[in-house]
Amino acid sequence: MFFSVKEKLKSGKSGSNRRTRRGKRISVLYLLPSVIGVLLFFVLPFLIVVYYSVVDNPINHEFVFLDNFIMVFHNAAFQQAAKNTMMFSVTAVPLAVILSLLLAMMLESKIPFQSQFRTFFLSPMMVPIASVVLIWQVLFHYNGMMNEIIGWFGINKIDWLNSSYAQVVIVVLFLWKNLGYNMILFMAALSSIPKDIVEVAVLESASPFQIFWHIKLRYMSSTILFVTIMSLINSFKVFREIYLLKGDYPYDTMYMLQHFMNNTFGKLDYQKMSAAAIMMAIVMVIIIGILFLTENYFGKDVEG
Amino acid sequence: MKKGKNKGLFQIALFAMCITILASGCGKKDKGEKEEKEFAYVAEYAQLDVKCEHIAQTVAAGDVLYMAGSSWNEETEIGTNYFYKYNMLEGTLELLPLDVSENSYINGMAAMKDGNLAIVVNNSTYDVDENGEPINWQDSMEMWKVSGEDGTMMDSIPMDGILGDENTYINSMCIDGQGNYYLCNGDSTIFVLNPQLEKLCEINSDNWINQMVSSKEGDVYVTSYGETGMEIRKIDPDTKSLGEKVEGISDGYGDRQFFTGLSKSFLVGKSGKMFSFDLSTGTEEELFDWLSVDVNSDYLSAAGELSDGRIFAVINDYSEENDKTDLVFVKKVKASEVAAKEEITYGAMWVDYNLKKNIISFNKTNDKYRIVVKEYGSDDYQTGLTQFNADLTTGKCPDIIDLSSINYSQYANMGILEDLYPYMEKSGLKKEDYLENVLHAFEVDGKLFGITPQFYVTTAMAKASNVGNVDGWTLSEMLDFVEKQDPENVFAYGNRSQIFYYCIYNNIDEFIDWETGKCSFDGEDFIRTLEFAAKFPEEPNYDDEEGISAKLRSDKILLMQGSVSSVQEYQMMNGLFGEPIAYVGFPNNERKGNLIQTTGGCMGISSKSKNKEGAWEFVKGILSQEYQDSLIQEHGGWGFPVKKSSLEKQFDLDMTQEFYEDENGNQIEQTKTTWGYDDFEMEIYAATREEVEAVRELLMSAQKLSGNVNEQMMNIITEETEAFFSGQKSAADTAGVIQNRIQIYVNENR
Amino acid sequence: MREKTEYNSNNAVALERWNRSVRKKKKIKHTRQLVRITLVTMVAAWFALLFLMPIVLTITNSFMSASEISANYGQVFATTDTGGKVYIAEKVNLKFIPDMVSFSQYITVLFKSPEYLLKFWNSVILVVPIVAFQLLVAAGASFGFTRYRGRIKEIIFFVYIILMLMPYQVTLVPNYLVSDWLNILDTNWAIWLPGIFSPFAVYLLTKYMRRIPASVMEAAQIDGAGEWQIFKKVCMPLCKGAMCSIAILIFIDYWNMVEQPLILLSDPEKHPLSVFLSKINSGEIGLAFAVATIYMVPPILVFLYGEDYLVEGITYQGGIKG
Repeated sequence: MFFSVKEKLKSGKSGSNRRTRRGKRISVLYLLPSVIGVLLFFVLPFLIVVYYSVVDNPINHEFVFLDNFIMVFHNAAFQQAAKNTMMFSVTAVPLAVILSLLLAMMLESKIPFQSQFRTFFLSPMMVPIASVVLIWQVLFHYNGMMNEIIGWFGINKIDWLNSSYAQVVIVVLFLWKNLGYNMILFMAALSSIPKDIVEVAVLESASPFQIFWHIKLRYMSSTILFVTIMSLINSFKVFREIYLLKGDYPYDTMYMLQHFMNNTFGKLDYQKMSAAAIMMAIVMVIIIGILFLTENYFGKDVEG
Repeated sequence: MKKGKNKGLFQIALFAMCITILASGCGKKDKGEKEEKEFAYVAEYAQLDVKCEHIAQTVAAGDVLYMAGSSWNEETEIGTNYFYKYNMLEGTLELLPLDVSENSYINGMAAMKDGNLAIVVNNSTYDVDENGEPINWQDSMEMWKVSGEDGTMMDSIPMDGILGDENTYINSMCIDGQGNYYLCNGDSTIFVLNPQLEKLCEINSDNWINQMVSSKEGDVYVTSYGETGMEIRKIDPDTKSLGEKVEGISDGYGDRQFFTGLSKSFLVGKSGKMFSFDLSTGTEEELFDWLSVDVNSDYLSAAGELSDGRIFAVINDYSEENDKTDLVFVKKVKASEVAAKEEITYGAMWVDYNLKKNIISFNKTNDKYRIVVKEYGSDDYQTGLTQFNADLTTGKCPDIIDLSSINYSQYANMGILEDLYPYMEKSGLKKEDYLENVLHAFEVDGKLFGITPQFYVTTAMAKASNVGNVDGWTLSEMLDFVEKQDPENVFAYGNRSQIFYYCIYNNIDEFIDWETGKCSFDGEDFIRTLEFAAKFPEEPNYDDEEGISAKLRSDKILLMQGSVSSVQEYQMMNGLFGEPIAYVGFPNNERKGNLIQTTGGCMGISSKSKNKEGAWEFVKGILSQEYQDSLIQEHGGWGFPVKKSSLEKQFDLDMTQEFYEDENGNQIEQTKTTWGYDDFEMEIYAATREEVEAVRELLMSAQKLSGNVNEQMMNIITEETEAFFSGQKSAADTAGVIQNRIQIYVNENR
Repeated sequence: MREKTEYNSNNAVALERWNRSVRKKKKIKHTRQLVRITLVTMVAAWFALLFLMPIVLTITNSFMSASEISANYGQVFATTDTGGKVYIAEKVNLKFIPDMVSFSQYITVLFKSPEYLLKFWNSVILVVPIVAFQLLVAAGASFGFTRYRGRIKEIIFFVYIILMLMPYQVTLVPNYLVSDWLNILDTNWAIWLPGIFSPFAVYLLTKYMRRIPASVMEAAQIDGAGEWQIFKKVCMPLCKGAMCSIAILIFIDYWNMVEQPLILLSDPEKHPLSVFLSKINSGEIGLAFAVATIYMVPPILVFLYGEDYLVEGITYQGGIKG
């Protein structure tokens, strides 16, 4: 979208020139409140973050240029956090997309109580965090239900929250919280795929897989991007649950970038926190950029 | 269609709701701010020209306060009771002729509807034996009815007949709106009498009754400590029972005092603040902070509201410096009427007893500056710390920062604190006059970022004959020693986690190489320590008949963990062991196991303060000769002053012998105090020179501030070790998890 | 869903032929289909059970007495005297059915302790304006982003997305500084304003609006409608469903906020109930489930009310043709 602006501008010939110019100016007015607010409450704070990232500490304000970045970049805890966060996003986000797509297709196949199921799948969104944390604590406790269940199969107890399985636990937690909403998005997208195209494909004896791969997926590419971005946002929010489960310093596979930021914030090391945040932002810009490029590439021919 | 319409309505309703909320929010904010600026509370002391220092009992009937007190004549050894009537609106004092004999004590007073007083009096009678000593004490209770006008006795009824039991003791009384009498025996029983003084019922509470109080509405309530903290329940004479606990009073075991209100049901004195509590809505409202009106609420004994809106309080100060009763009126005034002083903020997580006294006296005497306390930790420590940090960065930093419950070295390294040495020099305070090791403990790169007026030493003790005359040991030395002796327990009533905690407390750095960032919690030493601690009981046995002292002497217990805050405490510990002891402290690689624990406030000046001179004015005060000397206590107790000359005076006092003459005219040395631990008790006489020298040596051996132990790491360790101690996991697994989690901490902080 | 009735004109002939060819197989297929649907339903039911568990658990546990709760889970949150967590040696299990149904939790929360209702009201006060005004601001901004797209606007939009993705920890401190500077610290405005101007809704709504065919608005423009009319008469009605679903998302998100009030509102009396729920410890766990259940009511209501819209989705699926 962002990259095809020029052509679109060229083709925009509707209306007289003057009217367009007036319209443009008015459209800026609509944007204005939001832009001012965002400048004040999001851009300005971000600039403050940039400022903190180049001073020695939030009290002294001595300019140190890139020292903080170098220090944080070489910090083993930061590296661990970056690795974990990436690992988590790389596994949890695609899983969230794929599983929710499967769920959506499952519900599509005209099963009874469809809308009830839909509501059930969405229910984790509404559970307050205290219940979630309590349930997770009890489920994955060393003497909890999960170990009892695997005990039936003769597997030894696993210390879920204090071992490398911790990452599995939080991926499950994340999926459990977010699948429902993603599924809804996919259901909407599935239902909007023009039926005639599918029917024609069936007529031409395309296999269900082909229909799925070449038609459905194609039509849903923008939804997939959207679900991916939403999942990415939500994947950052899983920190709150981890934090309430294990506090400031969890087992190292659960240690996220937000832990790093939260802890450095708590210790008044704003410079470290800011440097980490900015590095994270840069990576995010790149990821989002790639996602947009991909969507542009795949989704263009079906866009309305 | 219908649905759509509904939604439109819904949206409009939503929008309207938002507007109202925004508007109300707006209004609230403005009002709140204005109030803050416009009004202030000030305290005035009533001129009470009474003949007694202490007022033991008071009762208010409207705006009139009746006070009963006594004075003791040292020479004649005769006590005299006085009964006063004070009109709080006009400020007129009147001595009423009510005759309370020397051996009568007023145990409860209440005002009746007609303005007269009901008084419960305990008369003690005794016979005198051949030596002139009183024997055969007998108490009898009487109910007096006294005229509120002139104090004449109208009636006197013995209570024995009414309550049924001869020896019933009553220690407080209330009267409800119907004129019924409520008498509490000071334990858990309440007697209810009708206006004709006939017994209606007897109500027993499940818990010990803390206080009985009548509400503005005319009902009588009792407070007691229940499951979640202090509870207040209504006494219901109809059902002859206590009602449900009143909700709306925040939970917690903190001390709360309830007083009858005038505008609201109760006045509540709680954590240094005054609240009003409304029973009908169950809401509590903060009125003012006693500290901000320079009144020490620790001594609050009675309070109430006057018809002109003022709040009166009876402050019964028993402390040595200011031994008397004051009547204080707190008035809400326009802020402009309060004399303007430069405000110095004192930011602290909590304010301790001595510091509070110190701040109040500073504020009362200093014309130029006024200390305003900002307490961060009253709600929750972590939130408080976040708030404090945020204040530091936004330039709202307190002028004086209390360092006693924050990580001192972290803040000192950040350049937040001012070096105090130049200030000391300018004010003529010599560095050499103060204990080097204490100053040194506060130093970072030769700069003094904080100071404390007083300190004591946290340590652990063992028999010198067992461990040698050392003042520190390493972890392996300690483990070897205990394993060789194979005792029943390491400490008195120690359990596994405590023993483990002791091993690690001052010693975490042994397992961390901060240079390389390597941790060795999964190494042999740590695992050995875990397994060592697991040999000891999970729960200590409190029912053992053999006392601690005997066990220490027979080496069944090897160490005592504790603090030394006075020479007397040292003497007692020696007595407990029965032989000379060594203060080995907490195991530590450098064999420096004794820690300095600051008390009475530990403070630094913010480098961002706009009024450093004013801040220093207060900090200087705690170092002054006068204040340091005031810390000298006859029997110690709070800690040692940091000024050398004052410490010497304290030692001299500890060594001064006191004598009395016995019947044969011999001079006998008098005991200074009696002190004990567990079943052991000893009389403590003046210390010898050697004992004082030993204490001095102990004080000097403490090099580190105890607050610098890293809580976060300790929390990780204690959290994970529980799994091992309860037998759920192997020591190696536990150590592995600890290693893993602490490694992150270490990496993050390098 | 709406197209169901519309398809089928062009391909009617082809379909007819196809229908005839498959009719024979239909019977076999029918049974196979039945098996398949049963299987899928069972799988779905199993999943649904997993997903429903927490809500069911929260609600059933809210009918236990405080002492029963403490006995069951008290230790999970308890701490030892040295500060660590208590390690539970016995089995800990989720308990679904109370030994004895008790309303004591509700009685305490609803009638005896006004603080919970007060905190609940705080939540309402904090969240409702955010939802309403974030939508309002976002509607305008999305319209601005959709009409007359230009390079600068695209860049701004991209910046919005990046800001939206920032974890809150990053901007929380600076937000504190800004709030302090604007003198709104410790007032509800410190929560409201950053909430109202959050780019989240702008992003979602813009994504949606941009899917509306340009021709729809252009047609209105040619008919002589001004920008305001296009916004009000054309754009907004089309976005109603999307606005509702976004509202649900924002509501649920802010309804569960914890960190912002903790830092920006120093007065605990202004804190929403979500803060209390996140700080549950052994002392208060006896009430936690009733409080949690009560706290779930508004999201569930909002959700049930707007579920259809949520299902309609955030992405524009072409409700209107040409």
